[in-house]
Amino acid sequence: MNKKDLFLFFFFPLLGIVIIFFFLSSINRAYVKDKVEDLVKEQLQATAGILKVNIAHFLSEDYSSEEIFDFYSGEENIYFMALLDEQMEILGWHSRFEGYLPLSQKNIGEQESWTIDSPVGKIFNVFTSFRASDQKTYHVYLGYSLENLELMIIHSRRNFLILFAVVIGIGIIFFLGIYQLQNHFLQKEKEAEAERREKERYKEISAFTSGVAHEIKNPLNSLALLFELLTKKIPPEYKQDISLGSEEVRKISRIIDHFSASLKPLDLKKEDLPFKNLMAEILDTIEQDRITIRYEEEGNIGLHADKGLMSQALLNLLRNSLEATEKGEIWVRAKKHRKKIQITVQDSGKGMSDDEMRQIFDPFFSGKKEGMGIGLFLTKKIVEAHDGSIECKSRLGKGTSFTIQIPGG
Amino acid sequence: MIKKAGSIILGIFLLMIPTSFGQETEHFYNVDKEIRVEGKIQRIVMEPRYKDTSPFLIVFLEEKDTKKIYKVEVSPVWFFDQDFYQGEYLMVTGSLTSSEEAGLNVIAREVQCRGETMILRDKHGFPSWRGAKGQMSTKGRRKGKRY
Repeated sequence: MNKKDLFLFFFFPLLGIVIIFFFLSSINRAYVKDKVEDLVKEQLQATAGILKVNIAHFLSEDYSSEEIFDFYSGEENIYFMALLDEQMEILGWHSRFEGYLPLSQKNIGEQESWTIDSPVGKIFNVFTSFRASDQKTYHVYLGYSLENLELMIIHSRRNFLILFAVVIGIGIIFFLGIYQLQNHFLQKEKEAEAERREKERYKEISAFTSGVAHEIKNPLNSLALLFELLTKKIPPEYKQDISLGSEEVRKISRIIDHFSASLKPLDLKKEDLPFKNLMAEILDTIEQDRITIRYEEEGNIGLHADKGLMSQALLNLLRNSLEATEKGEIWVRAKKHRKKIQITVQDSGKGMSDDEMRQIFDPFFSGKKEGMGIGLFLTKKIVEAHDGSIECKSRLGKGTSFTIQIPGG
Repeated sequence: MIKKAGSIILGIFLLMIPTSFGQETEHFYNVDKEIRVEGKIQRIVMEPRYKDTSPFLIVFLEEKDTKKIYKVEVSPVWFFDQDFYQGEYLMVTGSLTSSEEAGLNVIAREVQCRGETMILRDKHGFPSWRGAKGQMSTKGRRKGKRY
């Protein structure tokens, strides 16, 4: 995992989004809170104004202050109230809490309203004056509960925290996704680069090997002709030795032909092939005295492929499986899978080690004593020429399966 | 045992008092009249103080220098979980609500006894037993036993 990429594509963008969200949300919350507080205070002051008029009316009707407070004692939001005369003497008061009337001369006169804290939340205090019908000035001191406002602020804070957690969660998922995509892209780019280099290297080796094969083939042909001439002219007791020499030369020639064939670019002549028919033709060419080859397909599978090359590819796989299997069965299964044809050749043979699996498609690699190691290399080359892919799975002692996927279906 | 006896006495006492009380005009925690009194406990009684509330613990305190008697309203009995004894020294911070009839009354905000401070009201006089926690808070070293 690249630390720099992790910071660049995950941590920094996530942190940026979280900080921006937090900043904007905090500004917005502070603004809304201030506005709501102002609104509530305006409302409470208006209520105090109405209350003042009502109290003036009660006084003109000769109600005592105790009777007046009885009218309002049921008001849950009024924590305390007091009526004062012109000399600031308290005529009467009422409080929901024992002895609690936080009236102080310090507050009176300076402002008409102020807020104090209490264990049951903030209390909005209003001190307001009015003239009653007896032409005397009275003062009303009120304490309103700001509990609802505080509850609203708590709810707002809780909602903000939930939203913040959601933003962080979504941010993590989103930027983790981007980071993974970036990683995947870089990985693919690396793979593509490695493949390109491999192809270039292969091209160079192919050109070199073709040249060598060509240079060897000419003297070999001369040598073959020489052996033919010798066969006719030498005494009979040497003929067996000369024949052996001639056979070895032919063998070398065949090997070179195989090399040359494997290095040549493939020329595909694609046609529509019912897979069933193709398999029938392949199975006709294989002797099944020791091992039974079973075949099944899901629905009617049709290939658009070069018949000769595809036969060769499948034959190579089947031969490989037959050579690796002492007893049991070999299964060939074909099915459609996501707009692709998937063909699996599975045996119950000796299987392969991980090291062998890594090299199984390399040219001239063979796990057998006899064999040039061209078969599976060619199979892969044929499959890839059809824009397909081949993969191998194997477990030692359990068997091996090759899966070809080519476009179609 | 003491607690049980106290409850019986309190019960009898409650039967004797009127069921409702008007709030005396000047009997509230006036932050402008905050004083500090230090003195010796003369006696301890339980009295109803506010309308529709349980009796309060009242301590008669003899001021150390002037020998004046202050009637200190501590808190509802159920709330106060400390034990005072006659003759003990107390330091009380509270609001003076004196009148000719009632004498020198103090509504206590903080009581200090045996190095421990018991907070009964906040700085505006809000009673601690009506707060969100409803438990008396103390600070300082703790001495003496509980009921």
